[in-house]
Amino acid sequence: MSPTAGLTTAQPDVVEPVTVAVIGTGAIGRDLVSKIDRSPALDCRLVAGRNPESAGLRYAESLGYATSAAGIEAVLAAARPFDVVFDATSAAAHRDHWPLLEPLGTLVIDLTPSKIGRMVAPTVTGVSAATGRNVNLISCGGQASIPVVHALAARFPVTYLEVVSTVASDVAGRATRLNLDEYVATTGHAVTAFSGVADVKAILNISPAVPPATFRTAVHARMAGADPAAVRAVAERAAEEVRSFAPGYEVTACTAAGDRVTITLQVMAHSDVLPPYAGNLDIINSAAVLVAEQYAARPERMSRTGVAS
Amino acid sequence: MTRVVIHDPTLRDGQHAVRHQLGPAALRRYAEAADAARIPVVEVGHGNGLGASSLQVGLAAAADDEMLSTVREALRHSRMGTFMLPGWGTSDDLRRAIAHGVDVFRVGVHATETSLAERHLGFLRDAGAEAHCVLMMSHMATPGELAEQAARAVGYGAQAVGIMDSAGHFLPPDVTARIGAIVGAVGTTPVIFHGHNNLGMAVANSVAAAEAGALIIDGCARGFGAGAGNTQLEVLVPVLERSGFATGIDLYALLDAADLAERELMPAPPVTASMSIVSGLAGVFSGFKHRVVELSAAAGVDPRDVFFELGRRQAVAGQEDLIVDVVAELSGRGTDG
Repeated sequence: MSPTAGLTTAQPDVVEPVTVAVIGTGAIGRDLVSKIDRSPALDCRLVAGRNPESAGLRYAESLGYATSAAGIEAVLAAARPFDVVFDATSAAAHRDHWPLLEPLGTLVIDLTPSKIGRMVAPTVTGVSAATGRNVNLISCGGQASIPVVHALAARFPVTYLEVVSTVASDVAGRATRLNLDEYVATTGHAVTAFSGVADVKAILNISPAVPPATFRTAVHARMAGADPAAVRAVAERAAEEVRSFAPGYEVTACTAAGDRVTITLQVMAHSDVLPPYAGNLDIINSAAVLVAEQYAARPERMSRTGVAS
Repeated sequence: MTRVVIHDPTLRDGQHAVRHQLGPAALRRYAEAADAARIPVVEVGHGNGLGASSLQVGLAAAADDEMLSTVREALRHSRMGTFMLPGWGTSDDLRRAIAHGVDVFRVGVHATETSLAERHLGFLRDAGAEAHCVLMMSHMATPGELAEQAARAVGYGAQAVGIMDSAGHFLPPDVTARIGAIVGAVGTTPVIFHGHNNLGMAVANSVAAAEAGALIIDGCARGFGAGAGNTQLEVLVPVLERSGFATGIDLYALLDAADLAERELMPAPPVTASMSIVSGLAGVFSGFKHRVVELSAAAGVDPRDVFFELGRRQAVAGQEDLIVDVVAELSGRGTDG
C-alpha cells in the first residue's frame, strides 16, 4: 500500500487493512494491482502469475510488491492465509482454484466468468460478501449492463433483453478470448437473474479499430409502450449510481421505436495503467476493489481478525 | 484441370438480404435444387451464424435447429455447411449442429483476431468435424498479416482457411496478393475466398483467387447476399471452368437452382445500388446497409456520409449499434431518439 495513496471510495474512520493476493498478471491483474495500491484498506502481499517474464509481474515488482511465478501454489504456500484473494485468471483456472482456496476461509473475489460464486453488481446487489466466501464479478458486459437492465425491468414490462458489448482488441487478453463461451453464458445468466426476464441474449464483439474503440455495451429491450424520455430517465438514474464507483460510466444514446428500446452505455477507464478506452477492465476491477474495501470495513471481519491474533 | 471446391452460402449469407427471414419451405426447395446440381457444400443458417438471431443483427424466421434439420433432409449428395462467430455462437451451438449432421463448419473472425477461434476450432477438431476458419473484413489487414493469421488458424486445427471480402472493397490485384501470401504460409491446407460484389468485382476477384491458389471458392445463387450481393454462383462456375478450373457442378441444374432462388428466396436479385458502391468504397460491412439507410432516413442525414464515417471509425461486423451513434452525431441533434 502506498502511504500517499488517496481513498478510492468513502471509508469508515478507522479501517484495518486486509491482506490481499492477486492471481493473474494480464491486463486485469495489472490494473487490479494499481487500484489496490491506491486503496488504504487493502494491503497487497502477493502478486502471482504463471509466466516469470510477464509485464504484470514486473509492474507489481516496480511497486515493491512480492511476486511469484508459481500461480495458485504461491498463494497456498503463504504462512497465513490472505484475507482476500482476487482471481484474475480464467474460468477454467478458477474452477481449479476455488476448492483449494475455500478451506482457507479467505474471501475469494472472482473476476472470471466462472459462474461459481455469488454474483455482484454493486449498485444492484450491494457489495456485502456475507452470504458467501466466493464473490463473482460476472463479466465486464454484465457490470456495464446489469444496473440498466435491472432498472428497466423494475419499471417497464420488459419481455426480452439483449446485451451486446464491444471491447478493444488490445485489452481483450488470452483468457477473455478463450472464455467467450463462459462470457456469453454467465452474462446471460446474470441478466436473467437481475431482471427476472427469462428470454435474454449476450454477445461480445472484439474490435481491432485504430484508434481503439472505447468499451461500450448496447442494451436492447422489448417492451410495450416504450416512451424514450421515461426510458432515458431510468437509464440515467442507474448510470448516476454506477458513477459512484466507476466515474467513466455514461449513457451515450437512448432510442425507442415501437416496442424496441436501445440504450448504449460507454465506460471510460480511470486508471493509472489502462488506456481510457479500456473501460471493460476498469468497471469490473472497480467493482471488485469496492467489494474488498467494504469487506475490510466489516465489524465481523475485525472480530475474526481479533480471534485469530 | 485444377479442381476447386464450390461452397454455396446462399441459405446463410443470403439471409442478410431478407433480414434472416428465409423459412423452412424456401430452405428446403433451394437445398434440393443445389443438391441436384451437385454443389459440393450447401451452407445454411442465420446470416451471422449459429446463435446469432438477435435484435442487434436481426431475429431469424426459423430457429437454428429447424434450419439445420430441414436442409439436412434435403441434401443427398451435397455436404451441409454452417457458420459461427465466436462471441455470438458458443460450443453448445456447435455441439447441437454436429448432432444435426453438419459436415463443414466455418468459424468466422475479424481478420486480425484469429485467436478468438482457437477454442472452437479445437472443439470441432476434437469432435471430428471438418472446420474452416475465415478471416472477415480482410481488406483491413495486409497480405503479411493475413498470412500470419491464417497460419495461426491452421495451428488451431482449421482444415481450410481463407478470407472474406466482407465490404466488397478488393480489386483483383488485392486478392492475388492476399491469397498468394496465405497459400505461401499454409502449404497444403486449402485456401478459401469469399467475394462481395459492391464494386462489380466479385467474379473477377474469385478467378484471381483461384489463379493465386485458392481451392475453395464461395458463391451464392443470383449473388444473393447483403448489399450488392455475393459472387454470383451461376456466373462464377462457368467462368471458372472456362479459366481452366473443374468444379464438378452440372451447369443446367445450377442455372435451374439460380432461377428457383430468384423466384423463391428473394424479392429481387441484388443490384450494385448506389449505397452498395459507397459501402464498398468506405470499407464497411455490406450487412450494415438496411440499418444505415433506415436510421439515416429517420434522422434526415445522408446515408453516404454515415457509411464513410463508419469506415473512418473502422466499424466491424457485429457493431451495428454504432450506426445509432454515428447517425445521431451527424444529425447534429445529440443522441436522444
